[in-house]
Order: sequence, then C-alpha cells, then structure tokens
Amino acid sequence: MTPLEVFALAVFIFTYALIISERIHRTVAAMAGGSLVLLTNVVPWGKVPVYLDLDTILLLAGMMIIVNTTRLSGLFEYIAIKTAKFAKGEPIRVLLLFSVVTALISAFLDNVTTVLLLTPMLIYISRLMEVNPLPFLLSETFASNIGGMATLIGDPPNIMIGSAAGLSFNEFLFNMGPIAFLDLILMIFVVYLAYRKVLKVSKEKKERILRTLDNLDERAAIRDLALFKKSIITIVVVVLFFFVHDRLRIEPAVVALFGASLILFWSRENPEGILEKIEWATLFFFGGLFLIVGSLVETGFIRQMAQWITSHVHAEGDAILVIAWLSALASAVIDNIPFTATMIPLIKAMGMSLNTYPLWWALSLGACLGGNGTAIGASANVVVIGIAEREGIKITFIDFLKIGIIVMILTVGAGVGILWARYVW
Amino acid sequence: MGLYSSFIGRKFKHIAGKKYEDIIKHYREFLLTEEERKIPEIHSILMPLDRYVKNIPTELYETISAYEARILLVYILDSQVFELVRQTLSPEASEEFRRREEIMGEELLNNVAKKLESYGLKIQRRIFFGNKSDDVIRMAENYDMLAISRNYGAEITKTSPLSPLVLKIIQHLEIPVMVY
Repeated sequence: MTPLEVFALAVFIFTYALIISERIHRTVAAMAGGSLVLLTNVVPWGKVPVYLDLDTILLLAGMMIIVNTTRLSGLFEYIAIKTAKFAKGEPIRVLLLFSVVTALISAFLDNVTTVLLLTPMLIYISRLMEVNPLPFLLSETFASNIGGMATLIGDPPNIMIGSAAGLSFNEFLFNMGPIAFLDLILMIFVVYLAYRKVLKVSKEKKERILRTLDNLDERAAIRDLALFKKSIITIVVVVLFFFVHDRLRIEPAVVALFGASLILFWSRENPEGILEKIEWATLFFFGGLFLIVGSLVETGFIRQMAQWITSHVHAEGDAILVIAWLSALASAVIDNIPFTATMIPLIKAMGMSLNTYPLWWALSLGACLGGNGTAIGASANVVVIGIAEREGIKITFIDFLKIGIIVMILTVGAGVGILWARYVW
Repeated sequence: MGLYSSFIGRKFKHIAGKKYEDIIKHYREFLLTEEERKIPEIHSILMPLDRYVKNIPTELYETISAYEARILLVYILDSQVFELVRQTLSPEASEEFRRREEIMGEELLNNVAKKLESYGLKIQRRIFFGNKSDDVIRMAENYDMLAISRNYGAEITKTSPLSPLVLKIIQHLEIPVMVY
C-alpha cells in the first residue's frame, strides 16, 4: 500500500468511526474527512465534480423542497387521520393499514419525514385503543424501510445506486417493487404472529374508540386548502414524470428540481422559508462522503479491493448472495448511506469481470432492509424510537432486535430468492 | 440514562429534533389530549345563586338535565355586608336587610328549582350566611361539577365580562365548571 492509500484509508476509517459513535454530528465528521482529503490533495480539486454526485444531491434537494412545501398544507396529517378512521378502532386493521400507508408514502417520500408525520397519530390511536403500541410502531418502522426500497426515490441508497449505475425509476419499480410487496406481507405477518395476543379490544371499547375517531375532523388538519390541492397535483405530476423520465431522457434529479420549482412557483410560498427547511446537513453529509470514498477510488484502493473480491467470487449468483447479506448485516449496525457510498465504486470496479446489473439490486436490497435488523440500523428506526420515548413509551434495543432480526432475515432472504430466480436460474 | 437511550436521543436530535417539534405542535391543534378524552362522570352539581344572578338561559337547564345529576342550589347571604350594615346603620336595618335578602333568595331558589324539577332532576336547596367565594370553593370539593353565572357576586361591566368572584372560584377548582 502506498502512503497515499494508507492516508485515504485512515481518513475513511476515522470518519466512519466518528459517524458510528454519533459523538459529533455525522455531517461535521463527513465534512472534516472530505476537507482533509482535499487539503492533502489526495482528491485533486479538478476531480471534485467527478466524485461529487450532483445527481444524488440535487435529487435529494428537489424532493426536500417538495416535501417541506407539502408539509405546510397539512396533507400528511390528513392522510394519518383518514387512515385512523378507516381502521375503525380495530387493532389488526390499524396494523395493516398504517403499514401499507407508511410503505406507500415511503416509496415516494423520504422515510424520516414519513414516520415523523405518521407516528404521533399511531401513538394516539394505540392509546385510544388502550393496547400496547409496540407492534404498531415496529411495523410502521419496518414498513417504512421496506417501502423505501421499492423505488428510485424511496431511500437515499437507491438514489445513490440509481445515479451511479444509471438505473431508471421503472427499473427500480420492476426489480424492487415486487420484493417490497412480498416483504411487506411477510413483515406484517411476523409482527401479527408475535403480538396477536395484544391486538384485541372489547366491543364496548371499540364503540368508544369509534365515537372519538368520528369526532376527529381530518379537514381540521388542512392548514391551507389551496396549497393542499396544489401539493397533491405536484406530487402526482412528479411521480408521472418519474415513470417516463428514461423515455424522455431526463435525469431523475431534473424531475425533482422541476417539481420543486413548480410547487414554489404555483404556491407562492416564501422560497426563503422553504429553502431554510432543506436539510442542508444531509446534503453536506453526502458531499463529504462522496469525497472521502472518492479518495479511496483515486488512490486505487477500491480497484484492489474489487480485484480481491472478484478473485474469490466468480459468478453473479455468489456475488448477489455476498453483497445482499453483507450489506444487510453492515446496514443493521452502521448508517446505510456511507456503506452504500463505499460499495458503489466497489461494484463498479467489479464490472471488469462480472455483470453488475443484478448486483445493484442486491446492494439496494441489503442496504435498505438491513436497517430493520437493529434499533440503530436506519434513521426511521431512531426517529420512531425517539418519538416513542418522548411520549413515555420505551422501546428497548432488545424489544426491537427480537422482531427486527427475524424481519430482516426473512425479507432479505425472500428478496435474494427473487433476485436469484430472476438473474441466476 | 443508559448508553442506548442517550445514543437514540442524540441521533434523534441530529435527524429530526426541530422538525418533530413543528409536527407535534400541529397535531396538538386537533388531537385531544388523554385528559381531554376522558369524559367526566357527573353525579352531582353545585349551583350557587345570588341577587346578581338574573336570567338563567334555557340552554343551561337543558345541558344540566342531560347529566341526570343531583343538584344543590345554594343562596349565600354575604355575612360581611350584613355586619357592615349592622355596624354603620343599626341592628334593625341589618335585620331588615337579612329579611329582604332571604325573601329574594327563597324566591330565586324556588323558581330555579321548579324549572329544574320540570326536567325530572332531584333538587336540594340551601340558604345561609357566609362568604360567597370561599364557601363555594369549600362546598365544590364534594361535587362533580359547578354551574355558575358570570354575574355571581358582582355586576359585570363591558370591561369586565366576568365577575371577579367567579374568576377566583374557577382558579381554585379542579372540577369541570360551566359558566353561563
């Protein structure tokens, strides 16, 4: 190993250790690492545009603008109340409906925002039913990670994979959609089996719950009716554009930016207020990570790693297994974003001797579903546990692990099975 | 706080701290709190009356009748005013004051009781000398609800639409209060 390689690897390990420890903000860690590799010229300034994946960063920024503007209308709270009313105070229906709604919203919007908006309603309804909120909160978390896997824009690892491999929205939907659908059913079944004894309410209690739910007015959640309608139309237009972006030869980031400018132009919302709500910390986190991983590519470390892997893994089938399970196990304990950022150039380099097309799906599968394994595996998990804790509901690491690890193994296993059937057999 | 809790707390703050506060603030605007969801069981209602309570709206009788509760109508003669009249005017004047107040009280109690009884409610009546606010606060401890006129204890004005006595009573009670 050359001194430059050692230095790049040291920065990479040190930054990842800081990110995992959460002692300092992950953005600060990534920015510090990124600036170190720039300062030492490991990544020359001229190469910054090569490693800084603008497609990912702009797609994220565009979607953040759309979501933050839509949030002002009260659309998500409206959906949450409607879902609660449809559930009719029946715990199994609450479990089922909230899981499906969470998965659907997560497929198109970011997981953190989805669970942030649905969890308060879920806690409210479980208190109303006077049943243990744990199964509902767990299934919501798992559903969010599963739903996010289904589309190109559902989860940051997918955005990164799509951008790096040039995969379209429809390719994601075609490859990951059926897996997400099957995994959602599996997950709900597992949670139901584990908690079926507590998912019951008496007839009298149900009547009281229905009365309270009837008094909830979903229209009261709408803060701005005009913006509410405009938000729905914008989201529909953006999703339609995503379906045809490859045929129109438009990058996904352009679709998101078009949607963002459309809603800002149409709603007449103060752009400064909306732009302030963009999660700049996340965008800079991505920027820093891209540079750190870029330093490993630049020094040739990634190429050597890929050569070593391809000398041991000779077929796509083996690679699917290794990548999917390695990604799942790693994402269960560390943030899937830095992990995916590292894996992307590795898989690209493996393209020298392997067909990488199925490997991207294996990476998406593992990176998105691995997060279900432990309480700290995904941002959505932390958000749900954090909200629960603030509401006096304790979800311990073991509470989560007991179900999470089963869900992770089953869903990744089912996904690998589908990928194997599609690309190997 | 354990390592796990502090880790979750720190990470939650990094990911969603401010955003969550905004969302939960919006939810609180239309979701009832646990306390608000509990419908209080009302079996007894205390209803203080005095010379300032003139018109009792029909809606109040209708609302009270929905509870099917036992009602105590109480008319409190202000002992301080009685003492003031006795000291500044004469014992005879104070007696005259007491006699007139009692007649007025009996009449008001009878009228209100008659109306409430027409709704099929059980009514008790009391008239006594005492402190208009402190005695109501003390008695209310044994009742599930208080129904009080905003005129109770004093004339109201445009600048003060609620009698100061009513304000004082409400501030000291934990039971539901109906102000009419």
